[in-house]
Amino acid sequence: MLAVEIEHLNVYIRHAHILKNVTLRIPKNTVFVIMGPSGSGKTTLLKVINRLIDFTEGVRVEGVVRVLDIDALKADPYELRKRIGMVFQTPNPFPHLTIYENVAIAAKLNGVARSKRELDEIVRWALEKAMLWDEVKHRLHAYPHQLSGGQRQRLCLARALAMKPEILLLDEPTANIDPINARKLEEAIVSLKDEVTVVMVTHSPHQAARVADYIAVLYDGRVVEQGPAQQLFLRPSTEITQKLLRGEM
Amino acid sequence: MYSGRRLKEALFTVTIITLSVAAIAPVLHIVYTVLVNGVSVIVKAGLRFFTDLPPTPGSAEVGGIAPAIAGTILITAIAFPLSVVLGLFSAILTTEFPKNPLSLLVDTIARSLASVPTIAISMVIYTVIVVPMRSFSALASALALTIVALPYTYTYFSAALRSVPAMYREAAFSLGMSRWDTVTRVLIPISRRIIAAGALTTLARIMGETAALLFTAGRFRGGVAISLTAPVDAIPLLIFDYILSPYEIWHEVAWGASALLLLSYLAIFMSVKLMVKEVKL
Ligand SMILES: Nc1ncnc2c1ncn2[C@@H]1O[C@H](COP(=O)(O)OP(=O)(O)OP(=O)(O)O)[C@@H](O)[C@H]1O
Ligand SMILES: [Mg+2]
Repeated sequence: MLAVEIEHLNVYIRHAHILKNVTLRIPKNTVFVIMGPSGSGKTTLLKVINRLIDFTEGVRVEGVVRVLDIDALKADPYELRKRIGMVFQTPNPFPHLTIYENVAIAAKLNGVARSKRELDEIVRWALEKAMLWDEVKHRLHAYPHQLSGGQRQRLCLARALAMKPEILLLDEPTANIDPINARKLEEAIVSLKDEVTVVMVTHSPHQAARVADYIAVLYDGRVVEQGPAQQLFLRPSTEITQKLLRGEM
Repeated sequence: MYSGRRLKEALFTVTIITLSVAAIAPVLHIVYTVLVNGVSVIVKAGLRFFTDLPPTPGSAEVGGIAPAIAGTILITAIAFPLSVVLGLFSAILTTEFPKNPLSLLVDTIARSLASVPTIAISMVIYTVIVVPMRSFSALASALALTIVALPYTYTYFSAALRSVPAMYREAAFSLGMSRWDTVTRVLIPISRRIIAAGALTTLARIMGETAALLFTAGRFRGGVAISLTAPVDAIPLLIFDYILSPYEIWHEVAWGASALLLLSYLAIFMSVKLMVKEVKL
């Protein structure tokens, strides 16, 4: 059972060839980690999966991208995105909405919750899943600027979870937060596997070791290696993977 | 010890304060003069300033400016919402679809409109609306003012929408929001302070605009008109006419009208400032 199946994907932004003949298989209900040096195309790859890439000026996407058994490049991107959550490199909770409203908004708009009580329940569930509930339950109507960076990032995770996605894209979700918050987020991610497929970008080999079922290594827009995490850690077949997993790249 | 750095800092502070005072002094002077000369007139005339017709040149009593007030309210009530809605939709169009030919057209028109003298706009409306209708009218005035105001709302609103960091747009789209939801539930609310400020400046512009009304309103001061197709008066037109007249009593009325205009700006400005909360990023 595959959540995402990518074949011969090529992405060009104006005249730059960003992703080069990428072929990837992401099994359902796993944590699939994408690693690679800065500028190797990790964010771009995530944005192809939920078609956020459409908003990049001068972009051209070629190849086959099947997401949840539909042809993602031909599907209605707005419908597709309702089934895919995303947490970005920089925490971006909506500043004009309260903590509660941030989590509720997608659930409400996408029809996940039909009544106020259902919505309350989903908000609580999502905040609990994101390991944030205990810290915010007494100030659900405060605004996100009163939260710490790590709390904001977990709020973004809760916001994405509240729309009950089938796939969750995480772009270095712990890049800008402290180790304690980062651990909380990792725990949250691992506990989600039963419900969603997690595709996560990280720079940290330690984090990859803790959460990954599968790892794909991206270098200069190409997938140089992919497979079960253990296999990559024990017997990396390329020097790039070796360096990445030793944290030397 | 009194170091060179502290001296520099003190000098800097003094310079800044002096320059800021110099910059706002003329404004304060205008406000002061208008209020001193005008409020006394309004007080003297009492409530009748709002309900009576203007005095005849020989009259001993100030009377009121009811036709001008009614006219300004009527044409503002049409021109303001119209320029806000049109400006907002144009801004959404050009910021969301910058490459679209229609966007380029709208942008070009709005920008060139900003450089057309308002008196020219008044003349154009005169030839295409007033002449065929055979009458000055509130409608012609409101249209002229809408054209004057559009570049303002458009420029303010598109700047406001563009000021929202791209990461919030991405977040909205990643949640499956449509373009419409993204604009109305995320971009506009986040930039609401700038949008409100832009709308306000435009409102002040509309209420104070004179030249655009010269060939459209018709300066009807013989009664209160509440018809779209009949000639109307407006506060700035009345001020313009009366200040240029040789009669002392009309000068007084003009001061009172100026004060009224100024006070309503202040009232609107304050209430919007209180009502629209800032979004902390
Ligand atoms: N909008 C854009 N316009 C032009 N080039 C772009 C654009 N977005 C990305 N690129 C280029 O595409 C390449 C891949 O970028 P991407 O953001 O996917 O890298 P990344 O692997 O996520 O890097 P990082 O680890 O620093 O986040 C880079 O060389 C970048 O310069
Ligand atoms: Mg990136």
